[in-house]
Amino acid sequence: MSLPPDEQQPGLVLDARLHLLDRQILDVDGVPVCTVDDLEVHGIDGSDRPDGSQQAVVTSLLSGAVLATRILGGRPPASRWHRIRWTHVVDVGTTVKLGVHGSELDVTWTERWVRDHVISRIPGGSHDPG
Amino acid sequence: MILGDLLDSPVLGPDGARVGFVVDVRFALDGPLDGLLAAPRLHGLLVSPRTGTSFLGYERNGVNAPAVLARWFAWRHRGTFLVRWADVESVGRDAVTLRTGFRRVSAALPGSLAQRP
Amino acid sequence: MKKVLGLALGILTAIGGFLDIGDLVTNAVVGSRFGLSLAWVVVVGVVGICLFAQMSGRVAAVSGRATFEIIRERLGPRAAGANLSASFLINLLTLTAEVGGIALALQLASSVEPRLWIPVAALALWLVVWRTKFSIMENVTGLVGLTLVVFAVAVFVLGPDWGTLADQAFHPSVPANEGHAVYWYYAIALFGAAMTPYEVFFFSSGAVEEKWKVKDLTQSRANVLVGFPLGGILSVAIAACAAIVFLPKGIEVSSLSQIVLPVALAGGKLALAVVIVGIVAATFGAALETSLSSGYTLAQFMGWSWGKFRRPARAARFHLTMIICLLVAVGVLMTSVDPIKITEFSVVFSAIALPLTYLPILVVANDPEYMGTYVNGRATNAFALVYLVIIVVASVAAIPLMIVTGAGS
Repeated sequence: MSLPPDEQQPGLVLDARLHLLDRQILDVDGVPVCTVDDLEVHGIDGSDRPDGSQQAVVTSLLSGAVLATRILGGRPPASRWHRIRWTHVVDVGTTVKLGVHGSELDVTWTERWVRDHVISRIPGGSHDPG
Repeated sequence: MILGDLLDSPVLGPDGARVGFVVDVRFALDGPLDGLLAAPRLHGLLVSPRTGTSFLGYERNGVNAPAVLARWFAWRHRGTFLVRWADVESVGRDAVTLRTGFRRVSAALPGSLAQRP
Repeated sequence: MKKVLGLALGILTAIGGFLDIGDLVTNAVVGSRFGLSLAWVVVVGVVGICLFAQMSGRVAAVSGRATFEIIRERLGPRAAGANLSASFLINLLTLTAEVGGIALALQLASSVEPRLWIPVAALALWLVVWRTKFSIMENVTGLVGLTLVVFAVAVFVLGPDWGTLADQAFHPSVPANEGHAVYWYYAIALFGAAMTPYEVFFFSSGAVEEKWKVKDLTQSRANVLVGFPLGGILSVAIAACAAIVFLPKGIEVSSLSQIVLPVALAGGKLALAVVIVGIVAATFGAALETSLSSGYTLAQFMGWSWGKFRRPARAARFHLTMIICLLVAVGVLMTSVDPIKITEFSVVFSAIALPLTYLPILVVANDPEYMGTYVNGRATNAFALVYLVIIVVASVAAIPLMIVTGAGS
């Protein structure tokens, strides 16, 4: 018993688990930023919990699952998620590419913290390897 | 709404009977422009009669190599179908309920080998 | 010369996989107890790692994605997390053993207590990871590590009975004084050592570090087909040396100084000096490989910026991870634990990491979204599936055999 094909078949399709979740996000220079941990979806009229009666779109990529929750399961509270608005996304392939620099995003704060408080304090940290 | 709440959620028919579980969510890049790309519009839910993540989407993309693995994984999630977003009545805390008269449609990805006869 | 240097990544990866301190000892132990009757396992292991390293190198060159990134994307966070935990522990245990191995080798050369060499070795390692260019690192350690070929030379110089050796190798059987369970335990240990996941993590990340693209696919293949077989041949040579010198007398090998004895017998002080240089270089190379692998796996799992091609300030968490791993290694070694005993436990974690590493590689190598037209051919898939079965069988049997045989004693 095979199912009828989807007549409203759109051209460009992304399946969340297959194509978006757990993908690497790169910034405009190709530097890794974080991974896509989840997606935020809102109704087109702005509603928070849409149902089939209105169109719904992805408004942001979410990142910031802590190591513990990623491995053991569960989800951190909404306030701990870092948001990357879909507006910043310029391409989706095997990676998600953004049009902004990683340093402008909140989600990279631990990288900046480690850089400023540990790595920069060790001689040679700011120089290219040579 | 966070997508993770939808994934793996049980799906109930209009009469309350369980129809399957949400294994994936399909988006189409034909929404209103948001930045450089169109915002991904929620097109439908991929529902499988069994739980467990659809491993690697073999039942949808028609990739048939390596042969043994592809056939095994496609078999595991045989019966996966797409339900259009318009057929979703409500997204509750514990389950997704479908509208009366909802239609099951083929889950094959567009342009994939799975669609060819 | 440039062509030879172009093979350095493959050679260094193979050194870390086949000739690190744990393997040096295991091969010598196997040779002294079983002769060459386990040589067939090395061949099986070499073919397996060539197959999968080739795939992961091709994936890295065509799609720019290193292996652990692919594991996270294809397996999802839960299964990838399980692999990460196992692989990270293997890396850490092996790194600890390697730093200890460097110190032991330097003790052979200088008679200075190993505990004094440990911080020196760790500091030297960190300096290389921190400042040296990837290509210089791989070229120097790879080439100097090749001096271990002196083991192969020693086999010839010792003038063995080729008939007996050939008989052991081509008609393998369990020796009279050893049990079947121990034989298969060592078979799995040798197979696991040949196919340790950090080899593909390092090779594919190295491919990204070297910025290999589609045009470098031939170079990638050459690296694999030269490096790993060479590693396998030297592994067998070490076993052969032990088989020639220790097996007839029934001496069991347990220390580094015993391992180099056949070479000293063959070529005197000069050969001994060469082999010690080789062992220092090989353990140093293996230590580099495992410390970089711990950085690569964690950074790729978490989505952090990584790579030696970036200055440390642009890959801060990656470098911090490696610094912490080195400090842990030094801390553990200062408690005077035997570094070589530590590696026995990594067999256990390999059992978990092996299937969870090689299945995603096989799947992605077939995925047109990542590979375009460079997907696997039928023959590659057929061999890879056979190896997946072998890997799963080895995985399942590893822990029971380890318990039953008391880790091969």
